[in-house]
Amino acid sequence: MNEHSRVLERDKLDIAEPLSDVELRLPAVLPRESYPIETLTPDARQQTRAVGQRVTRPDGRLHGLGQTKYIDDLSFPGMLYARIKRAGIASARIKRIDTSAAEAMPGVMAVLTGKEIPVNSFGPSFQDQPVLVDDLVFHAGDGVAAVAAVTEQIANEALEKIVVEYEPLPAVLDPVAAMREDSPKVHAPNSNIYATKTIRKGDVEKGFAESDYIFEDRFSTQMIEHVSLEPHAAIADWDANGRLTIWATIGRITLARADIARTLKLPMSRIRIIGTIVGGNFGGKNEISQEPALALLSKKTGRPVKGVFTRGEEFTSTTTRHPIIMDYKTGVTNKGRILARQIRLVLDGGAYCSWSETTLGKACILAPGPYKIDNVLSEAFVVYTNKTMTGAMRGFGAPQVCFAYESQMDDIAKKLGIDPLEIRLLNAFDEGSPSPTGQVLHSVVIKESLRKAADRFDWEPRS
Amino acid sequence: MTDVTMTINGQTRSASVPPETTLLQLLRENFNLTSAKLGCDVGDCGACTVIVDGHAVNSCLMLAGQADGRQVLTIEGLASREHLHPIQKAFENSGALQCGFCGPGVLLSAKALLDDNLDPSTQEIRDALSGNLCRCTGYTKMIEAVQEAARLLREESRTQLTHARPEVATP
Repeated sequence: MNEHSRVLERDKLDIAEPLSDVELRLPAVLPRESYPIETLTPDARQQTRAVGQRVTRPDGRLHGLGQTKYIDDLSFPGMLYARIKRAGIASARIKRIDTSAAEAMPGVMAVLTGKEIPVNSFGPSFQDQPVLVDDLVFHAGDGVAAVAAVTEQIANEALEKIVVEYEPLPAVLDPVAAMREDSPKVHAPNSNIYATKTIRKGDVEKGFAESDYIFEDRFSTQMIEHVSLEPHAAIADWDANGRLTIWATIGRITLARADIARTLKLPMSRIRIIGTIVGGNFGGKNEISQEPALALLSKKTGRPVKGVFTRGEEFTSTTTRHPIIMDYKTGVTNKGRILARQIRLVLDGGAYCSWSETTLGKACILAPGPYKIDNVLSEAFVVYTNKTMTGAMRGFGAPQVCFAYESQMDDIAKKLGIDPLEIRLLNAFDEGSPSPTGQVLHSVVIKESLRKAADRFDWEPRS
Repeated sequence: MTDVTMTINGQTRSASVPPETTLLQLLRENFNLTSAKLGCDVGDCGACTVIVDGHAVNSCLMLAGQADGRQVLTIEGLASREHLHPIQKAFENSGALQCGFCGPGVLLSAKALLDDNLDPSTQEIRDALSGNLCRCTGYTKMIEAVQEAARLLREESRTQLTHARPEVATP
């Protein structure tokens, strides 16, 4: 800095004298400053200024301009396209896989089978899901081999050249039948029932004895796919330093990193996951799917590998919502007060656990409904079947049981000649009511909400 | 190979592609215009919607050769460097796009509607967007946004701005 500029700097900063060395030195430990700690915690039900405000998304403009980069919009030099061959059979033993014809095709750079995966199992709670099946096929959407080729078209053609010989095994498709001892086991020798939960409160038998009416109904829901508009997609790049970078449409990248580290037997420190904008998740992109296979294809070829599921694969090979068979037995007085409710839920877990344990717990706890019931017995089972795996989806089992208990409330109201709104107001939780698990509930506004809603759409009492 | 020449977002572009190439593949792979998305590849979801000669079409169902000699508009050509198109402005302000994957298709379906009809009813908007699936929004805010965009466009045409918004982006 020359003399001239120093003068200018001084003038600007209005420093009369240069600071001494001591003054300029920062203390090793900064003096403690205390700030007033004031946390704004709104009281329950207090209207804050945020409520009723219109918010816009920070990425909304990019979406509207078409500038958002989803996985399929990214490409890298030398990138290959991967496709996965699906089993197409619900339950079988693989006798032979012949990939030689596919490997010989011009443009096919690598073929991967389940046997080449270092640790061929993953999952958020039970590690029961293979990346590509190696011995047994557990459901029709299972991958048996993966191909990386210079174009997607060549990869698709290569899939047709892979020959797989199966020995068909009996398939378990009905979750209730799967619970029987003599049923074929999906993951032998383990039982098909892979998780259970029971909630007991009071004495249901006593409650039923005191009831004037007993209603017994079975409700069931179907399997639902999330159908996020963006299919599952990822790009894996295993570089020459042995470091793996994965661009993925995954909502939980840290969990994905652990699963990928496990399946590839690679330290987590060597794996970088870049979570891109997710084109719709709804619970369907909460775990890995094809990523380890893409990583190994990239390792084999030394090139980045992109994999995008087709819409068909979205339905057959990604998680779905649990179908639940729900048996409800409810005892009520002739005035409509619920005295006891016994529930048995059988969740169709599909071929792998995925987030079934979480779903099971939530469904079981919420199954009695938001009602004051002194005697509750809620039992839930989640069962393996040779179908597409079920996992997380918006609400984790709550929508299914809500459909069941509210349907039964309507049936009870109709039978007893009580207005459907009245029977809910008669039984609904109050401030401080205990939940079936004994949790004391606060901010309970169910009755106000029901009244307000009835008022808004001019509900006329019917009975 | 099929030789195709078309006007994309106001610019003449040519390519030589295999005859089975779809317009969507041509746009995404040959011309690097990635705003039109591959959602289902069978014309169900509408994520690949682009405007060809004024009509909203599923570009995954149209062969590149069929678009030869035509005018194609993708979402990249809707805004200029200086101005968002009123539809884009309205969608942003209404928070009508969440994950955004369906967005370019929805906006172009809305544009095809508003080019014909500046005062559409709610039912007409629903009909125009019926080929575009969205799993996030429930469509409510999209319909509000199209109504808002129609209002902005009506205002614009009434005031007869001398420095009119350019229809097509200049690169």
